[in-house]
Amino acid sequence: MALRVAGDFDTSYARDMATLRQPWHWWALLGFLAVLALLPQVAGSYLLGILNTIAITVITVQGLNILTGYAGQISLGQAAFMTVGGYISALLVSRLGLSFFVALPLAGLGAGLVGLAFGLPSLRVKGFYLAMATLAAQFIIPWFVRNAYRDVLNGAQGLVVPVPELAGVRFDTPNSYFYITLAVVCISTYVAHNIGRSRLGRALIAIRDNDLAAEVLGINPFKYKLQAFFISAFYAGVAGALWAHYTRHINSETFDLIDSVWFLGMVVIGGLGTSNGPIFGAVFVRLLREAVVLLSPALGRLFPALEANILAALGPIVFGTALMLFLIFEPHGLAHRWQVLKAAWRLRPFAH
Amino acid sequence: MNWALFPQFFVTGLLNGGPIALVALGLVLIFKSSKIFNFAQGHILMLGTFTAWWLLTQAALPTWAGIGLALVVVMLMGFAIERVALRPLVGQPLLSIILMTLALSQVMQGGAILLFTAQQRRFPQLFPLEPYKLPEITIGETTVRIILKQNLVWSFVIAMVAVVLFALFFQYTRMGLAMRATAEDHQLARSIGLRVNHIFGLAWAISGVVATVGGILLASLSGLGLELSIIALKAFPAVLLGGLESIPGAIIGGLAIGAIEALVQGLPKDSTIRSMWPIAPYIVLVIALIVRPEGLFGLKRIERI
Amino acid sequence: MRTVRLFAVRPLVLVLIVVLLALVACAPGAAPTPTPQPPTPTKAPPKPTPTEAPAEPTATKPAEPEKRTQNLEGETITLYHFGDISGPYAAITTPLVDGFNDAVAWLNEQGGIRGAKVEVVWADDGGNIEEAISIYNRFRTSDPKPLILIIYGSPELEALRERFVEDQIVTLTAGVSGEGLYVNSGWAFGWVPIYSDQFGLFVDWLVENWADVKPPQAGDEIKLGFVTWDTAYGRAASTDEAIEYAKSKGVEVVGVEFIELSPTADTTTALLNMQAAGANVIYTNTLAFGPANILKDATALGLREQMLFAGNNWAMDLATLALAGPENMESFYSLMPYLWWDEDHPGIEIIKEQFEKNQRPPQERNIAYLASFAIVDAARQVLERAIDDVGYDALDGQAVYNAITTMGEIQALDGVLRLEYDETRRAPNRARVAVTQGGKFVPVTDWLVTPDLRPQK
Repeated sequence: MALRVAGDFDTSYARDMATLRQPWHWWALLGFLAVLALLPQVAGSYLLGILNTIAITVITVQGLNILTGYAGQISLGQAAFMTVGGYISALLVSRLGLSFFVALPLAGLGAGLVGLAFGLPSLRVKGFYLAMATLAAQFIIPWFVRNAYRDVLNGAQGLVVPVPELAGVRFDTPNSYFYITLAVVCISTYVAHNIGRSRLGRALIAIRDNDLAAEVLGINPFKYKLQAFFISAFYAGVAGALWAHYTRHINSETFDLIDSVWFLGMVVIGGLGTSNGPIFGAVFVRLLREAVVLLSPALGRLFPALEANILAALGPIVFGTALMLFLIFEPHGLAHRWQVLKAAWRLRPFAH
Repeated sequence: MNWALFPQFFVTGLLNGGPIALVALGLVLIFKSSKIFNFAQGHILMLGTFTAWWLLTQAALPTWAGIGLALVVVMLMGFAIERVALRPLVGQPLLSIILMTLALSQVMQGGAILLFTAQQRRFPQLFPLEPYKLPEITIGETTVRIILKQNLVWSFVIAMVAVVLFALFFQYTRMGLAMRATAEDHQLARSIGLRVNHIFGLAWAISGVVATVGGILLASLSGLGLELSIIALKAFPAVLLGGLESIPGAIIGGLAIGAIEALVQGLPKDSTIRSMWPIAPYIVLVIALIVRPEGLFGLKRIERI
Repeated sequence: MRTVRLFAVRPLVLVLIVVLLALVACAPGAAPTPTPQPPTPTKAPPKPTPTEAPAEPTATKPAEPEKRTQNLEGETITLYHFGDISGPYAAITTPLVDGFNDAVAWLNEQGGIRGAKVEVVWADDGGNIEEAISIYNRFRTSDPKPLILIIYGSPELEALRERFVEDQIVTLTAGVSGEGLYVNSGWAFGWVPIYSDQFGLFVDWLVENWADVKPPQAGDEIKLGFVTWDTAYGRAASTDEAIEYAKSKGVEVVGVEFIELSPTADTTTALLNMQAAGANVIYTNTLAFGPANILKDATALGLREQMLFAGNNWAMDLATLALAGPENMESFYSLMPYLWWDEDHPGIEIIKEQFEKNQRPPQERNIAYLASFAIVDAARQVLERAIDDVGYDALDGQAVYNAITTMGEIQALDGVLRLEYDETRRAPNRARVAVTQGGKFVPVTDWLVTPDLRPQK
């Protein structure tokens, strides 16, 4: 449990429940959001592009964290559910003329229902058996959008996705689009954080830690597992829709298996079953990748004969090694490191 | 439906299932001894096959020496992976172990690009491309022709021999018995004096070798590239279909997956259903998971608190 | 006491949040963003018609005193390129980088672009579209703004095509799916004819020459089947327009079979189905191990006497030759929208010279090296034309766009690549048909004009 400053006592239930306990928490949050909200006005589109990608990744990883981190169900299909969300939103906006902001939750809903279907095997299997069932989603869903209803889904070429518009404002640059992703990521963080400490979250943790014991305690594991699948795929669907409208194009190859692997890696690097873990994980891995892409040409210039190879090899090696190091040395992820750091700050000058 | 082609499709599928079966066999070996499901199997195979390619073409070793040395390298790689990556995770939850093998696959992917470049290569031909032809049979109007690709026939034969060998190994040798005991209960095995770590390492080494043999046979048939590793994505359904702990199950699962793919790709009239063949193994997988999660030959485990 | 303060603060905070949200909501429209907003209307579907009048040649324009078109020593022009050099297309794309670098080095030796030094900035997106977009955002905001961007893959093209229009960056792309060049696109220009046009030209040629080229056991009717990858790229030739066109030419299309995107793909089943459907021509929109496996399996099945095999331009390359072996690739047909290494031509001489000078490995003596070398020269010509039109100091995306769409045929390196674009055309429409003979790629026709099979949407 996190340490508190001296004198910070819970004097009411509301206070016991509060996430933001201190006035300065509010100011810090507000300041942080204000900085983020002002960023598109001052920063270039490269930075905002990265922030958009990070924000969308955070959303999908938050969903995966509920399923994998809290409920302990391994999913290799998160990217496939993003495909579902992206297609649903693209179709709703371009075919039915719905507003993007209406289509977005519907995309989440649709993806959630598909996720529910692929969660059904969790009735009977768990562990890597379940991982396999979700791996199946990663193959079956792209095949479906490539081959079924070709007049609507446009086969392998995929769909052209309209730019979101609201009251005459077109969100067509990385800078303006950031307002959408920022708003959604705020909501998703709020919801994910509260899921983690509600009855649902506690039930999921109980199932993760020992499903038989949980069942004996009166928790219906199947019901809660399916809820976790739904929420996780809902998040993925929203993220997929955000991504589709950001790049304005989606096809069956947009989100693939390797993305799902990376999302799982982000969950672990950030910290399994923690509410700020997905943020840490997504930011860390994305920035790592960005650094690799930026630095590798310089590294390549040191070995000109190998230039192309180094560039291509560095990404997977750095990601794989980072993940391995975290698994061995910090299996609780960056969120745990953050707790330790905070505790050390509270306890200074004494050692933790 | 084109029944005249059925025998050829079926045989093609079975033969294509041979290398899948070898990869599946490797997965089962690791799982049997250490309860680890290895998502990096395809990449071990790819790296091993690239090593063989390098030894044969760049270092110009004779065929037997090149392949033999490559298999030794894969063995060492297996020991190293177990020692460096997986031993620190003993006692960690399943997710950590699955992610470790996924992380390993990424490192190996990058390592292969660094060492061998991302170019596709032609692997030296081990067997002539000219296929075996079975005598034609004419039934009424239709003539049934069957051809067998030599490399695939050999990987099929090796898969069969491997099953028998491993069955004997597990049944009659001390080492095999030790591996089975370890799989049953790590702590118990350790308490009766078995060197559990050595056994894990050995399982990784053997499974890498088995998979690499399949990889070499495939590569010498059609070529070598980083994408060789995706054959493991077909071996996963094969293993689950056959049952995670069963060696014959892995072989039968592998062959079944090959046959299912070829039949779905070949037989139906409707082209949309035909184009379903790449996902057919996964549809089978989902059905298997719902109907019979332990697979055809797997062990059903009963859990108690 | 703290509790009281907390509640005192909260309303204030809420008010601030509301203010903030209001600010946020009206921000993108109201506040001037520092990112360059494209002057072209973004609302209408971007038809590739420039809003400004096309630039007139230098002579007719009122000459401005300080317009610099020559002797740009001391200036630099940067060419940007990025793409996937590690995925399944690696055999094609890796040598691209070397070809590009060698071409730029050569160009600078020749005096650069009107004296200005040419520099290269590039990145690998590893086949990951998120990374591609990030790289693009970085490139497009770099100073100076890119005048010409070069990409290799259809996925990158399809994901970024609208951005090129909005940001007014002329993009030369090696991936030439009709979808990416013609639907919601306009500022992307292909290096070679789009895949469906290539297929159309092949059909034209096939219909005329069937009697001469048909395999001994093939019938008189042409029955064509596609055997290809189940990806956007693999399906880019077998579009509805292309199949319609083949029908109109009297060629029956008997089906589309998909093979695995893997070096170990077994194509036996697909080929036997095609045989059962009566196909005597197999067309594939794959490359490297795609055509190689088809050809090897066809040989093993004894189908080479019954079927003619062909593919798009990338299929006829060294990677295919190496994987299939010359004996199996014999009489494989393909489109060749460029001059080949074996031809006697001054442009090819330059490429060969630089290839040897930089000691490139033999497997890079392929289409990618050749084409990217030539495309650098094409970029030079386009930029020089734009400099002539508006002067170096006024050079911008619009000027480059006007140049590339009005300058007619661009003969890169005296015709190694023959590019031609206009108001609506986004890919060249000329190619030759070539065949593999004894491990060599030999053109069998002169340059022919492809039919126009761009997507009709």
